[in-house]
Amino acid sequence: MQRKWTGYLFISPWLLGFTLFVAGPFLISIYLAFTRYDVVSPPVWVGLANYRRLFTQDPLFWKSLGITLKYAAVAVPLGIVAGVGLALLLNLPIRGISVYRTVFYLPAIVPMVATCVVFTWLLNPQIGLVNSILRLIGVEGPAWLKSEPWAFRSLVIMSLWAVGASMIIYLAGLKDISLTLYEAAIVDGANAWQRTRHVTLPLLTPVIFFNLIMGIIHAFQYFAQAYIMTQGGPEDSTTFYALYLFNRAWRYLDMGYASAMAWVLFVIVVTITAVVFRSHKKWVHYGG
Amino acid sequence: MAVEEARKQDATAGAGKAFIALAVIAVLGMVFSWAVSGGSRRKYPDRTPVRFWHMWTAEWKVVVEDICDRFNESQDEYEVIPLSVPGHSADSKFLLAVAGGDPPDCMAQWNPVIPKWAESKLILPLDSLMSEEEWADFQATAYPIARKIGMYKEHLYGVTTGLNIWAMYYRLDHLKEAGLLPGGIPERIASLDDLRGVQVYLPRTLEALDEWGRMLDRYDGKLLSRVGFLPEFFRMYAPRFSGGFYDHESGRLTLNTPANLRALAYLAKCREELGFDKVVRFESSLTTRFGADWPFITGKYSCVADGQWRVVQLKRFAPELAYVTAPVPVPAEGGRAKAGWSNGNFMIIPVGAKCPAGAWEFIKFWSGLSEPERAAEFYTWGGWLPLNTRVAESPIYRKYVEDHPTFQTFLDILPSPNIEPSPPVPYQIYLEDRIKATDESATLGSLSAEKALARLEQEIASEVARRKEFGYAE
Repeated sequence: MQRKWTGYLFISPWLLGFTLFVAGPFLISIYLAFTRYDVVSPPVWVGLANYRRLFTQDPLFWKSLGITLKYAAVAVPLGIVAGVGLALLLNLPIRGISVYRTVFYLPAIVPMVATCVVFTWLLNPQIGLVNSILRLIGVEGPAWLKSEPWAFRSLVIMSLWAVGASMIIYLAGLKDISLTLYEAAIVDGANAWQRTRHVTLPLLTPVIFFNLIMGIIHAFQYFAQAYIMTQGGPEDSTTFYALYLFNRAWRYLDMGYASAMAWVLFVIVVTITAVVFRSHKKWVHYGG
Repeated sequence: MAVEEARKQDATAGAGKAFIALAVIAVLGMVFSWAVSGGSRRKYPDRTPVRFWHMWTAEWKVVVEDICDRFNESQDEYEVIPLSVPGHSADSKFLLAVAGGDPPDCMAQWNPVIPKWAESKLILPLDSLMSEEEWADFQATAYPIARKIGMYKEHLYGVTTGLNIWAMYYRLDHLKEAGLLPGGIPERIASLDDLRGVQVYLPRTLEALDEWGRMLDRYDGKLLSRVGFLPEFFRMYAPRFSGGFYDHESGRLTLNTPANLRALAYLAKCREELGFDKVVRFESSLTTRFGADWPFITGKYSCVADGQWRVVQLKRFAPELAYVTAPVPVPAEGGRAKAGWSNGNFMIIPVGAKCPAGAWEFIKFWSGLSEPERAAEFYTWGGWLPLNTRVAESPIYRKYVEDHPTFQTFLDILPSPNIEPSPPVPYQIYLEDRIKATDESATLGSLSAEKALARLEQEIASEVARRKEFGYAE
């Protein structure tokens, strides 16, 4: 019994932090979503008004939700394709492969703010490196972060910068595939593409599934890059859901409304995750 | 088995002791560091402390601390203790401090917080701390914009300690090179006479300034390398077209009005003429708008509207640059002279302040409400514009203006009743964000000025309806 309490004692700092800073606000936000609350005055009960306004009279809510859904639909599959592709290349038995793996993983550990600052300069329409290179081949690049369709696309492209983090997991998954399966496939006359298509990818699906779930969750929480690089502009074209939620909560001191937004987000993420989970039996293959 | 059990118990007891030891060390460490860092830094421990928060850093922090020192030396009842709070989190720290019952005694602000915080009863109406004579004196001597910035619902919540006014800066070398100035113009503006003498030749209308601007534009291939003049910021130009976003008499917003439409359409037209895309690319190439890299200094702009603080910066970072200042011209028809938008630094006292009387004495001391002659010196330290005529007309301030003759332009504009602050509504930040989005949509060419303004009106109407539904007064 005493041993058990000692264990709790040791994890008590985390328990305390979790209760105070995660579980507590999580539960309180359920109540706050039904109130008007400006952080300093006591919350006032408004019933379902926050939700009603959100769904019927807030165009920016729908716009930010659309932007986030679009980002999830584009950036997550793109990240999976890039991550898997990179992992396949970095799984080849070539000289200096450890160096390549390190190089491709490095961007994943660069602090987000530093990455954002660098990309802001790289994508500068007039003096940025990307457009300067394009100019050399006679192409005038877009205004990237400064124009409406391209600001969103720039952030999607930038998301590939940190693909090294998922690449490492895919690489570990590839290493886990038994060589005997490839040997058997070769004996059966399968070429490289067929081995990839019928051996590698099916056996990599558990890892892809994991990264898909994590990618979806991260996509719906997308915030820092837009906050630092575009502040939601130009013309709200990069006002992601989490950014709009943050503005409502801390910029306009509308914590009740923001809490309602948070719960809508929670329901959406849980629903999409559940749908993906339900579908996984159809496409995820567990080798064992 | 018994031995094993005893070992387990010993290990458990050992682990428990280790945890307790770690906890004790951690607590002692915290107490020690608190004792070391919190050791009395007070110069006057016998006086009543006045805790003062501000957001200035670097050389500005030194200026502010010098002002606090001067106050502390000037009397023997209070000690102002300044604390520089990081600007990006200052507002949330303030809110939490007030909510937690331990706010500072006063705070210097420049964010648009007065309406919201006043409505939430977070800050004190300063007129409640004023005597009748002080209130009458403030009303009589404060510049109109100083009164407007601090007021909410007919109460004064903020006293300005530095106003920001925008005017035109013209590079004399560019103007001469383009043949826009006659011969005999002084090389530099070294006196008020020089200033007045050159101002005579500058454009009187916005249309004339636009013509100058196009003559001064330069291209590098298809890209703009220098812009003669490019008007920006809807909130600045709406008043210059006799528009604006708030009617102080009726207390109502005025968003989708013919005057505002003309202003927004004008801003959009200027960019369209240069090419929306070209302007975006040009503006992106400007590394920063601050300090020595200000595009006017680097020669990227020939004529630009900016604030009075550039006068000091030009003296510091580009002392050889010859330039002149003048009020921003207004349209030939339907314009309103010396109009524009303004903000500034202002002092507030939170509800729950432990020493509001001391805070008020400090505010009067710094702002010049109590001793304008002495306060004038503080304004010159920061190159700030004063809140009333008494400071502006004091010998120290006049000497400063004579040493910086281009500064006079801002003092010429300062008494204008046509300078407007952001509308004093509790959803001011939301309103400002939507005005900015309206500006963007029109000036990037995504929406016509008409549609952008109609959208703004609709968005704000929806927000107001939401607030009413939630039981807010406004």
